[in-house]
Amino acid sequence: MPRLTNINMAHNHPPLQTATDSLTTAEFNLDASIAHIAHWLPAQGPIKDFIHHNTLHAFQHHPFHEGVAIAAKLFGARSYLPLSDYQALYLEGRINNDAISWAIDHADCSAEQQEQLRKTLFEKDDIGHYPPASLTNHGIRNAWLTQLEVDLNALVHPILFRLLSNYLDQGISRWSLPNDKESFWDCIGRLARNSLIPLYPLNELHVQDLLIQTPDEVIAHCLQKIVGDSAFFEQYLLEMLLAHPGWSGMVGVIEQNPKALLARRDISLKQLIAIELLMEWASLLKKKGPHFACIAELAHPEGTPLLKEDALSPKVPLRLRVWHEAMEWSLHSELLSALKSNSSQSSPTTPTAQALFCIDDRECSLRRNLEEVYPEVETFGAAGFFGIDFFYQGLDDAYPVAQCPNIIVPKHLIKESADTELTTKTSKTPHGHFTAHTLFRGWLYTQTLGLGFAARMAWDVFRPGAKLPNIRSLSEIDAHSQLHLLRESEELNEDGHLLGFSLTEMADRIGGLLRNIGLTQHFAPIVVVVAHGSSSVNNPHFAAYDCGACSGKPGAPNARAFAWMANNEDVRAILRERGIDIPDSTRFIAALHNTSRDEITYFDPHLLEQHPATGLVEFQTAMTIALERNAAERCRWFELAPIQQSNAVAHAHVKERTMSIFEPRPEYNHSNNLYAIVGRRQLTRDLFMDRRAFLHSYDPNTDGQGEVMARILSAVIPVCGGINLEYLFSRIDNSVYGAGTKLPHNVIGLLGVANGVEGDLRTGLPQQMIEVHQPARLLIVVEQTHDIMDKTIARLGELKEWLDNEWVRLVACHPESHQQFLYSAKGWEAIELPDDALVPSSEQSASILAGQTKTIPVHHLTRSLA
Amino acid sequence: MNGLILTSLALPLLGFILIFLSDSYEKRIARISFWCTHAMGLSLVGLLLTWASAGFPSHEYAWFTLYETSDYRFPILFYLDKIGAVYLFSVWAIFSIIVKYCRVYLHREAGYQRFFMTIFSFVFGLNIVILSGSIDILFAGWEIVGISSFLLIAFYRHRVQPVRNALRAYTIYRFCDLGLLLGAWLSHLLFHESQRFSQLAELFSNPALPPAGYAALLLVSALILIAAMGKSAQFPFCFWLPRAMEGPTPSSAIFYGALSVHLGVFLLLRTLPIWSYYYLPRFMVFIIGLLTVIVASVSEKTQSNIKGQIAYASITQVGFMFMELALGLESLVLVHFFGNAFLRCYQLLVSPSIVVHLLRVESATDADFNINKSPLFRFLPESLRHTVPEVLQNSLYVFSLQEGQLEMLVRAVLWSPLKRLGSSINRMSSTDKVLYSLAGFALVEVLLLTFGFDQSYVALPLSALMVLISLGAFSEKHSPYKVWHAIGASSLLAGLAICFLNPEAWADVLLFASGIVPAWILGIIVLSKLLENDVFADRPFTYRAFAETQPTLSILLFVSFLGLVGFPISPAFLGEDLLLSHASNFGPWFALPLTITFVINGIAAARVFLRLCMGRPTELRDSQQ
Repeated sequence: MPRLTNINMAHNHPPLQTATDSLTTAEFNLDASIAHIAHWLPAQGPIKDFIHHNTLHAFQHHPFHEGVAIAAKLFGARSYLPLSDYQALYLEGRINNDAISWAIDHADCSAEQQEQLRKTLFEKDDIGHYPPASLTNHGIRNAWLTQLEVDLNALVHPILFRLLSNYLDQGISRWSLPNDKESFWDCIGRLARNSLIPLYPLNELHVQDLLIQTPDEVIAHCLQKIVGDSAFFEQYLLEMLLAHPGWSGMVGVIEQNPKALLARRDISLKQLIAIELLMEWASLLKKKGPHFACIAELAHPEGTPLLKEDALSPKVPLRLRVWHEAMEWSLHSELLSALKSNSSQSSPTTPTAQALFCIDDRECSLRRNLEEVYPEVETFGAAGFFGIDFFYQGLDDAYPVAQCPNIIVPKHLIKESADTELTTKTSKTPHGHFTAHTLFRGWLYTQTLGLGFAARMAWDVFRPGAKLPNIRSLSEIDAHSQLHLLRESEELNEDGHLLGFSLTEMADRIGGLLRNIGLTQHFAPIVVVVAHGSSSVNNPHFAAYDCGACSGKPGAPNARAFAWMANNEDVRAILRERGIDIPDSTRFIAALHNTSRDEITYFDPHLLEQHPATGLVEFQTAMTIALERNAAERCRWFELAPIQQSNAVAHAHVKERTMSIFEPRPEYNHSNNLYAIVGRRQLTRDLFMDRRAFLHSYDPNTDGQGEVMARILSAVIPVCGGINLEYLFSRIDNSVYGAGTKLPHNVIGLLGVANGVEGDLRTGLPQQMIEVHQPARLLIVVEQTHDIMDKTIARLGELKEWLDNEWVRLVACHPESHQQFLYSAKGWEAIELPDDALVPSSEQSASILAGQTKTIPVHHLTRSLA
Repeated sequence: MNGLILTSLALPLLGFILIFLSDSYEKRIARISFWCTHAMGLSLVGLLLTWASAGFPSHEYAWFTLYETSDYRFPILFYLDKIGAVYLFSVWAIFSIIVKYCRVYLHREAGYQRFFMTIFSFVFGLNIVILSGSIDILFAGWEIVGISSFLLIAFYRHRVQPVRNALRAYTIYRFCDLGLLLGAWLSHLLFHESQRFSQLAELFSNPALPPAGYAALLLVSALILIAAMGKSAQFPFCFWLPRAMEGPTPSSAIFYGALSVHLGVFLLLRTLPIWSYYYLPRFMVFIIGLLTVIVASVSEKTQSNIKGQIAYASITQVGFMFMELALGLESLVLVHFFGNAFLRCYQLLVSPSIVVHLLRVESATDADFNINKSPLFRFLPESLRHTVPEVLQNSLYVFSLQEGQLEMLVRAVLWSPLKRLGSSINRMSSTDKVLYSLAGFALVEVLLLTFGFDQSYVALPLSALMVLISLGAFSEKHSPYKVWHAIGASSLLAGLAICFLNPEAWADVLLFASGIVPAWILGIIVLSKLLENDVFADRPFTYRAFAETQPTLSILLFVSFLGLVGFPISPAFLGEDLLLSHASNFGPWFALPLTITFVINGIAAARVFLRLCMGRPTELRDSQQ
């Protein structure tokens, strides 16, 4: 019975549109359906390299609010904060009347509706933010199972998850499941058919017969038995996979990118679907016998959302949308007013030191503090891989890892080597931490080591600071090793990588970055390149704490590579030919800022001994003070931190946090990130922006065609926008988009975390990372005219949809007049801020921060420059 | 010393009460728990020092007699010896570490207060078990530990899976209570007054003159062993332990890593004179330990999640402890317990660091399991040389993956038959039920009259009816009222049957009923309030989350549940013991149906409680919005 499937996807994704169009004959097409479904599953890879991305990436081709509304109908998630939260913010003064008017004007609704909205804004409504009826929770599958009185999820999920996690396991279990290069389907088939002990529930006779067929045939057969009507096939598969979004998403990610795993596995959504359907059918046979009522035979209850009808047509709750935009615009206009009234003071003309930081919002406050302590310093910001993309293999690393944003695939491999005999690899014998492999040894260990563990546990809990054995924290990264940077031969290694860079390639990268940030002259005697990383113990999400521009790794290798290349005489010679003249007296120095401990490590001291740099001592002294102040600033978010203590006490506190095994919040990472500013530092140097801004340096005067800006934005939008939206959605619905509380998490197969031993993988960010986050979209302010920005936007390609659909907001700020224009798909709209918007001002950060425990509006800093 | 025993017991209870009465302000709760753990530590160190200075005696303390009739006494007895001392110290050490740990770890967590209340009641229960002077007191502590464990597994009540696993663990606990209850009853029967731990050793000191018959001792040993197996997750109950790792990591560490899992070992240590008297029970303990070691160590090999792996490693070591016990190596067991408790606790606490540990330190990504095919199997004919090893390897893997099929085994043997029986009872119409039972009674009455037997045999059909009603409650899924009524009715039938057995016992039956009836009525009232606007049968499998929407009523329902299952706060607890003792005097056969009813009623009530109170409140936006 040919029926029409896949119709009425109101806003289909362009490449998929063609796939659905080809279905005009309307026979159910498995591959097209899987492609369709795959698109909606969470796209989070294995936890070892946690990469921030837009949680609702699949809905990005819709305008923001519609996309969120569709996702809500699919996943059963909340779309906004509760109404009372916004109203409370209004009462606190963090949402102002102008912003409410602005939001109502921009809500695309009739005058009548606007009037209605104004009247009802302050009504009480405790349920308006609840999720709508969704496919995940109220679809045909759940309705059918309720009628059958079979809890299929409880029967199938634990077994399926065990098989999946054992098949994909990256090293926790002692025995690995798959044979060499065996696919998931073959592997399960082998266990089910060729074992003396039956593999439950696949031991049913009918099921055994199916196991020798292909997944396609099995899926067709089971769908016929379970669903019965091809009109519902796709919806059933979707609902079945969304009942465990974590595992479905993981399988989808691995299918797309098998390299995401260290030990490769051959698995696909089709194989997963085949196994799961088979297990469902087998369980139904066991529970209900061969003649159970399939979906087509039972009537759906009233109101069941149907994919073939308008189940996914977006319905945006207007009042919440307006409140949300009013909150965002209030926060955004705080920065815009401050920028507008900023009496642009110039940076020090002859800086005694320059420092290049990562764009990361956590460096925003450090840069401000450093400049306050040491006004002669000039700071720059750039994406933390510093324009050098490569695979890196450290001394102790078993595998090379990519050190660049995950959209770039590097071609070069850099290895670290020990400098002296003393630092050669120490032996790596494990110390009974998790390793009692054999039965006898296990017995012996527990008999003898108990007292030792009693002492160690007491020590760790009562005197945090002693670190876990054998796990290096970042600050200990060996500063004495060497990177093999210069390529000695053109031969590719077995993975097809070049070993090191040639001189020209180095000059390309150094020159490219220096031009991006506008540092082509006035070099100070020292330029410190500061990468960042974060150390924490007992934290499976550690990768989410490191540098987002380095795919969740510490950026140290990039900083070291940058400094080495920029110091190299031959590279400088090439650069000089290209118009960037780095004086001989200038030294580049690599350093690593540990964002959780607020410590800094300077690399390659032996090179400094050969070429002493003037002014480094002063810089280091200033940096130490700045780091202490930064630590004190961060403490205001930690409820259990010492209140109003000296900076040194605060610094000691943040260090203790990173070392205690019972601290689920070593730092609050990107919480409250809100702004991204691409422009000269003069624009923002006198602003207090808390820790809320991603800062990228840029010289508007040397970029007439908007090319440089396009290069910068193509990193800023996905990296900063991804971070921002992941925080936003994890905060708005922590149980659907986020990972819930960290406390019961259990590490599964080194792939991810789950609740308990038989739960689904959790995607998104845990509650302990987002609880203080104020969920607002990112505001990107670029210091450039909107004419040139038009040229830039034309170069952005696919990224344009982020801007057009308002997943991030873009404002062009004129370099001279500071007039501001808001971008939308319709064009540039001049921003008129109310004249009475007074920007608070203060002489120094410390007085702004005193007594504050929440987010702080942007302030002017009226410090006088030395 | 006696005063110190009492303070050591009372302080966790005091902590529990103070936290219960305090508001949910985090810092206050943290302060209370800080002072309570420290005060408990002081009293404990004082106790142990006094005990040590008295020359490590086996000290017994009879506090007072709770209930006394002509032939029955229920004294509150405490007992401290070297086993108790080691356990007591470990409990305190681990508990105070965990309290300090959780102070920060649970910061900002919804349910902070609930968590601390539960671990305080857990420690209270543990201390009672450890210091108990007789099986009856031990049973009281055992119940408290069971209920707090149940609550902590379901700590994240929003998600279905913790709730389901809480019920799974609770059913096993409940089943093993059957062992302990019957064990207590049998020891009453065998040793009368002298079932106190202090006198056990003496009782069995004469090798020529056992205090009871071979069969009776064997039975009581087996019952005690069942209780120990369940709590310690030994064969065939291994499967519940890894699945219980649902609460916050430190609670899993203290319960399933460190303390709760070693209670079975403690029970065996306490009752060592009973079951080590003959060789057969010793052999049973050894075999259970051996089977556990085999199954658990094989299951551990394919655990791809870290907590499951630690759980099975722990079970394996407890299996070793059983074997050591059977071999009579008590001191070694104590050392082993101490080591295992601290090691597993520590491993669980640091389990989130496994990713860093394996990736950065060991660089381990793949395991090393391969049966080396060529040399080992050369004796086989060539056609089998490759297939046989593969089949064996697959079988071993499946065995390990399904954790020795134990869960399926337990379900098939224990629960499925009961469920089937229960649901066929439920399928009968109510008139049929009445008719059948009346017919049954008439038949028995006629038989009794014709053959002139004693009236006490009426208890026989009564007890059958009681078990059947209780089974009906067990498999009733569509109406919580029916479950509650069935539980109440079967409990009252138990009392009635006792009256028939021993007409003198009406006062004791009244005591029992004074616990059951109020709980029953309270339950029905609360249920009708909760389900006012709700047709339960429409959505019988939805978790209704009343703990969130109707917290007071939920607590009342919980109290009613505790009353019905004879938790040690209700007179029904003492009543149960009294009924059993009457049964032992007048109709020993009656003890079995009675305990079965108690156990099944408990499970049925727990299921209703979970269905109604746990879960996430339905959040659905009106589609008109």
